[in-house]
Amino acid sequence: KGLNYLSQRAREKELRSLVSNLPYEGQEKGKQPNRFFSSNSIKTTKYSPLFFIPMNLYEQFHRLANVYFVGLAILNFIPVVNAFQPEVALIPICVILSLTALKDAWEDFRRYQSDRKVNNTPCFVYSRMEKQFVERRWKDARVGDFVKVVCNEIVPADLLLLHSSDPNGVCYIETANLDGETNLKQRTVANGLCTSNFNCKVVCEKPNNNLNHFKCYLEKPNEEKVGAGIESLLLRGCTVRNTNHAVGFVVYAGHETKSMLNNNGSRYKRSKLERKLNIDVFFCVILLFTMCLIGALGHFLWLESLPGVPPYLVPDSSGHLDSPGLTSFYMFFTMIILLQILIPIALYVSIELVKIGQIFFITNDLDLYDEETDSRMQCRALNITEDLGQIEYIFSDKTGTLTENKMVFRRCSVMGTEFPHKENDGKLVQQIKRAESSSRRGGGRKIHPYLDFFLALTICNTVMVSMATAKRERVSDLFCQRKPKRNRTRSEDPAVGSAKMESAADTNGVQTCSLHPLSQRDRPAAASQSLHYEAQSPDEAALVHAARAYGFILLARTPDTVSVRLPSGQVLDFEVLDTLTFDCTRKRMSVLVRHPVTRECVLYTKGADYAIMELLGTPYAEHLSGNQKDVAAVTQHHLDCYAKEGLRTLCVAKKVVSEDVYRSWLVDRKRAQASMDNREQLIMETSVQLETDLTLLGATGIEDRLQESVPETTVALREAGIHVWVLTGDKPETAVNIGYACRLLEEEDLVINMSCKNKLKHFYFIQLTCTSILDCTLEEVRRYEEDPCNVDTTQNIALVIDGNTVSMALSPDLQDRFVDLAKRCRTVLCCRVTPLQKSEVVKLIREKLKVMTLAVGDGANDVNMIQAADVGIGISGQEGMQAVMASDFAISRFKHLRKLLLVHGHWCYTRLANMIIYFFYKNAYVNLLFWYQFFCGFTGTAMIDYWLMIFFNLFFTSVPPIMFGIFDKDVSAEVLMGVPELYRMGQGKGEYNFLSFWISILDAFYQSLVCFFIPYLAYQDSDVDMFTFGTPMNTVALFTILLHLSIEIKSWTLVHWITMLGSVGLYFIVTLAYNATCITCNPPSNPYWILQSQMADPMFYLICTISTVAALLPRYLILPASNSISPSPLLQGRLLDRRDPDTKALRIQEWRGFRGGGEQVKRYRLSPPPSPTLDTPVDYVPEFDLTGDDFSLNVITHQSTVHT
Amino acid sequence: MVKEEEDSSNRPDNTAFTQQRLPAWQPILSAGIVIPGFVLIGLAFIGIGVGLFLTSRDIQVLEMDYTGADGSSPCSVCYNLADKNCVCTMSFSIDSLIKGPVFFYYGLTNYFQNQRRYGVSRDDKQLYGDTSNFASPNSECAPYQYISNVPIVPCGSVANSMFNDTFELFKNVNGQSLPVPLDGKGIAWWTDYNVKFQNPNVTPLINAFNGTVRPPFWSKNVYELDTTDASNNGFINQDFLVWMRRAALPDFRKLYRRITDGDYSAGLPAGNYSLKIHYNYPVNGFGGKKKVVFSNVSWMGGKNEFLGIAYLVIGSLCVVMSVVMLIVYAKFKFPEDN
Repeated sequence: KGLNYLSQRAREKELRSLVSNLPYEGQEKGKQPNRFFSSNSIKTTKYSPLFFIPMNLYEQFHRLANVYFVGLAILNFIPVVNAFQPEVALIPICVILSLTALKDAWEDFRRYQSDRKVNNTPCFVYSRMEKQFVERRWKDARVGDFVKVVCNEIVPADLLLLHSSDPNGVCYIETANLDGETNLKQRTVANGLCTSNFNCKVVCEKPNNNLNHFKCYLEKPNEEKVGAGIESLLLRGCTVRNTNHAVGFVVYAGHETKSMLNNNGSRYKRSKLERKLNIDVFFCVILLFTMCLIGALGHFLWLESLPGVPPYLVPDSSGHLDSPGLTSFYMFFTMIILLQILIPIALYVSIELVKIGQIFFITNDLDLYDEETDSRMQCRALNITEDLGQIEYIFSDKTGTLTENKMVFRRCSVMGTEFPHKENDGKLVQQIKRAESSSRRGGGRKIHPYLDFFLALTICNTVMVSMATAKRERVSDLFCQRKPKRNRTRSEDPAVGSAKMESAADTNGVQTCSLHPLSQRDRPAAASQSLHYEAQSPDEAALVHAARAYGFILLARTPDTVSVRLPSGQVLDFEVLDTLTFDCTRKRMSVLVRHPVTRECVLYTKGADYAIMELLGTPYAEHLSGNQKDVAAVTQHHLDCYAKEGLRTLCVAKKVVSEDVYRSWLVDRKRAQASMDNREQLIMETSVQLETDLTLLGATGIEDRLQESVPETTVALREAGIHVWVLTGDKPETAVNIGYACRLLEEEDLVINMSCKNKLKHFYFIQLTCTSILDCTLEEVRRYEEDPCNVDTTQNIALVIDGNTVSMALSPDLQDRFVDLAKRCRTVLCCRVTPLQKSEVVKLIREKLKVMTLAVGDGANDVNMIQAADVGIGISGQEGMQAVMASDFAISRFKHLRKLLLVHGHWCYTRLANMIIYFFYKNAYVNLLFWYQFFCGFTGTAMIDYWLMIFFNLFFTSVPPIMFGIFDKDVSAEVLMGVPELYRMGQGKGEYNFLSFWISILDAFYQSLVCFFIPYLAYQDSDVDMFTFGTPMNTVALFTILLHLSIEIKSWTLVHWITMLGSVGLYFIVTLAYNATCITCNPPSNPYWILQSQMADPMFYLICTISTVAALLPRYLILPASNSISPSPLLQGRLLDRRDPDTKALRIQEWRGFRGGGEQVKRYRLSPPPSPTLDTPVDYVPEFDLTGDDFSLNVITHQSTVHT
Repeated sequence: MVKEEEDSSNRPDNTAFTQQRLPAWQPILSAGIVIPGFVLIGLAFIGIGVGLFLTSRDIQVLEMDYTGADGSSPCSVCYNLADKNCVCTMSFSIDSLIKGPVFFYYGLTNYFQNQRRYGVSRDDKQLYGDTSNFASPNSECAPYQYISNVPIVPCGSVANSMFNDTFELFKNVNGQSLPVPLDGKGIAWWTDYNVKFQNPNVTPLINAFNGTVRPPFWSKNVYELDTTDASNNGFINQDFLVWMRRAALPDFRKLYRRITDGDYSAGLPAGNYSLKIHYNYPVNGFGGKKKVVFSNVSWMGGKNEFLGIAYLVIGSLCVVMSVVMLIVYAKFKFPEDN
């Protein structure tokens, strides 16, 4: 017990100190210093074989419905209230529990198998006795061990890197298993350590799940402390690449590793449909209680009306009769047991089965498969498939979601001069040549800004260079495998063929596979051709490739040096003094290097334009020298133009740091790096400290191409009644431009632009202004909507709003106004928003408008938004897997959203909705028993044998609806894709609503009345016995229920036929067999030879026929009539399916032309016409301007544009 | 030191099943399509309805209440069961021949044989002839399980409450009362008589019942139900079997005898009859009525006009609806419908 306590304390301490296991090798466990920490064997199974049953039951009883049914079954064991033999009542719940248990056991077994495989993977652990690394299993590695990993091996535990075969002490890892990022990451050996005789103490923080963060220090025997961070940690699950071997010290093992802590399985969400379903189940409970109350009251009245003690009234064993009141009280519970089927017990398990089937089909869809990345659609949340059919708002990220996130360098502005990046434009090359010669004349003492600009592009990044010889094995595989594919895509892409320069800078495709041949103009040495750049962000890769095209070639990067070849052929080795890495707050990164010629400390910074512009000298313009001011202003103009063209902009700046400043700064920096508490904060502060008084070098414009079929997809989504919002961190101009390009904005749209430029003013004042702006805009919009000349035009309103304004609009006072405005807009573009604001916007819309929201994004900055939305979709793209990890569904391209929502969403929703409605209807069949209560003194008698009654729901009628839920297809995929309008059926209330639920319940009541009273009247006053009376009813109910379903089934495949006929067959076979064999096996119920004798009686067939026809007559009357009189859009869609392909295509077009207001999908143009170009700077038409500079509200209309 | 990695494609199979392209029949219900169905069903139902109605009309039924609760009936003296072995006689006349075979039923109203507790109060194993259940009857039989620890056979409420009025039918010819032979065989289900109910394999039968006692309401032991005929005695006594098959509804009739023998094989001829009733069964405890019914039967059982009418109504409804559908079809047919 004491040991447990100790181990618990050791685990929960904020800091852990670990020592090597080697001195203790071979000693008993109690002496091991690291015995408290978890071992490296993992166990992801939920159950153990011995305790599977109790644990699984415990798990299952978390579901309220199961508790309810078990409660009822137990109730049945109480003699005074029981309705059946007690054992019989246990059957349904047992079947359902064991079905679920089987499913769980299977899943757990698969986990067990994979655990065993992982635990037994071999690894090398150092043994002191054998004085070498010996082969062990993963599960044998312990905290404090030394583990050797070789190239392409997977790291078995979280290792602190101590030694690498690389002479520079680096080890490359690929984290694809963890986060899907395929670029190599560099890890460096923890400083100043001797592995030969490891006597340091490793002090590290408590295990956490942050993959990008790790803090520890090594305490040497002489109490010197050396800090180490994530850059020295090899994470479990990563693959070692490019490094022959590496040795590490195990800091976290098994379940305490970062990858295991991140692995929290699939998510559980409750879908909208299920929430509604629960309400209806609640209605069923009320209905049940009402019926039971009627039963109890009826029983009381019946007892009261008896004049004496009739011979059929059975006293208890002592011959005493309970008072009518008490008996009716008991009767209430008996009735609950008898009529319990009204609450659909099998519904929940059926829904689960149906969803498994639906997910199978979604993930197996070829159209959602991406050839390039070899990835299927993934369903990570297993129970919200039907939510996909009800989406009303989509919140999309821009970069990587709408666009490829594959960057192409397009334009740059150097010292206030603008250059396009084109093959035939030698201007820039000449400039560089001139600059080179001038700087050579200057004796290298002064670097020309043009050279500086390109040096900055080359140096200021974290791009890794890998040589062809040291290339990863995988790379060559990939290359061979994908080569034909690449060739094909390239030949299809005219842009690449026409401009070789572009292709040189193009990182399109698998950048690690091949480097495009350089243009003939500046041919570098053959060796540099085989250079491979591994960039963490596509922007950086684009910049490095661009610099390379101009002769500035990044040759190598180690933690300490960067080698660059200049156009002149000269190779410069820069000493890297420090790298101030990128973070979201600063929005920039810097590299501090020592120039090899001038020996100056130079800080190169690149970052978002606003982040850099603020740092040029002091915020006050007069402090800038005349030239600088000019350059800044001109560059700003260029940046604006770039943004309007849809280019991503970056500013590049430099600063020469004096030795003194550097030295004093270095002290702070070191202190920050060694601190344990809020290290990030301190490090960031030191970064900010240095990044001041920058000199602007220039700016770059990088194009991010739209993904294929994005405009078509957005148009289709819009026609489907879905509002698409874009939430982006980019500038409004870029966003508007992309908006036009992907047809979120149309040329004739009214675009309202709200932005607040100055954030220094008093908050209250800003809020006040914001309120009035919102009010004015609302007023304007209302006027616009009411304007009769706008009524029948398709003109729509779009809102462009920036981050500052959004944050104010989200404040409680303004929320309602904002929402009111937003819901009148067809699309909203929120620009410069932070990840948190993204999620706030989603939450606001979701809660205020009570709509189904979907968020789609690809990056870590979208995680909040993805989690806030009802349905989160991650795009597995260039930016790693964080978005995918947080998402419910993962797709690989934005265009997949179209089929996912319009087809699969629609199908899943209609299938499930119809199945649930049907289930409620089917279970209301128990009303037959209720009607019988009126003729048996409300004593809870069933005229159907218990076994058959239980089997009826469990086996005879359960499979067809499940198959219906999995396979039914109301409209073909083709028509659903062609006519997005059909998607609207599922939105809002959808098909499963209050009305449809009650209609089905009422229909069930009617049908049960018919099914009961026709046989009743036919057998009235005869010598019919109980089961003979009940058998035709049961049979009628079977036929009615199945034929009712057959109206619902829209497409009959072989599966449907088999299950339908199979159900009927099963009913007769089982019942006949049961009636023939069971003579006294099921006392006191004794249905011997009942069905046989009935089937020999013509009356049976006559009664069955007329009851079935009469029960279904209304439905078979109303449905065809309403289909003919006012066919629903879905029905029209189904009619389309019957036409031959040509007519179908024609009609789809006609339909869209008619309904969608002539929105034929125009061909997507790469550069959208309404965008302002450099020659025509600004064409905003400000209608009213409220408060001068601080706010601007612009309304842009492009009615007059003639760019088409 | 390089490890190998396998590469497998994730591409889904392109089959009709996984791509949800299985061949399917996609019916669309519309007015035009259902018209033939409605016409067909309507006409067929009208046909069946007419047949059923005519069949039912041919069935003759004679029903007499003999409860005696209102005092005007000859059996009202017996109503309160003041004296045991009360006998009353009812006279009636038949105007025309009731075609044979004539079935003789007794009927009870407001009698809930379908009461749940009553229904389970029996021991099927005992009735199957299982002597082990003679000594210890099923607990469901309580309170008719034991009488001061002696097991009751047959146990339970159903057996205990067995109807025990008996009837004799006489035809009055010229002031003379000639008994009409009643056939008490073949009134129960074949399976009840041969399978479900069996006497224990003990001869003489009485020995099987040693150490048991008869149900408290019974005046005779179960092995004395029909002493004249061993094949109609004990558990396989047909009156007993008829009673043990519980009626589904509170107003029911049960087959008492068939009139098939001798002169009466053609039916009950017109004339005056008297029915001698051994009035034993009390009904004042539940306010029910007792009656006797003489009826002949057809292939569809006893007289019941409901089914014929129902067929006619639903059939004509279908025909009417097909006309409505025709109008709908003419006005609103799908433009694509050819």
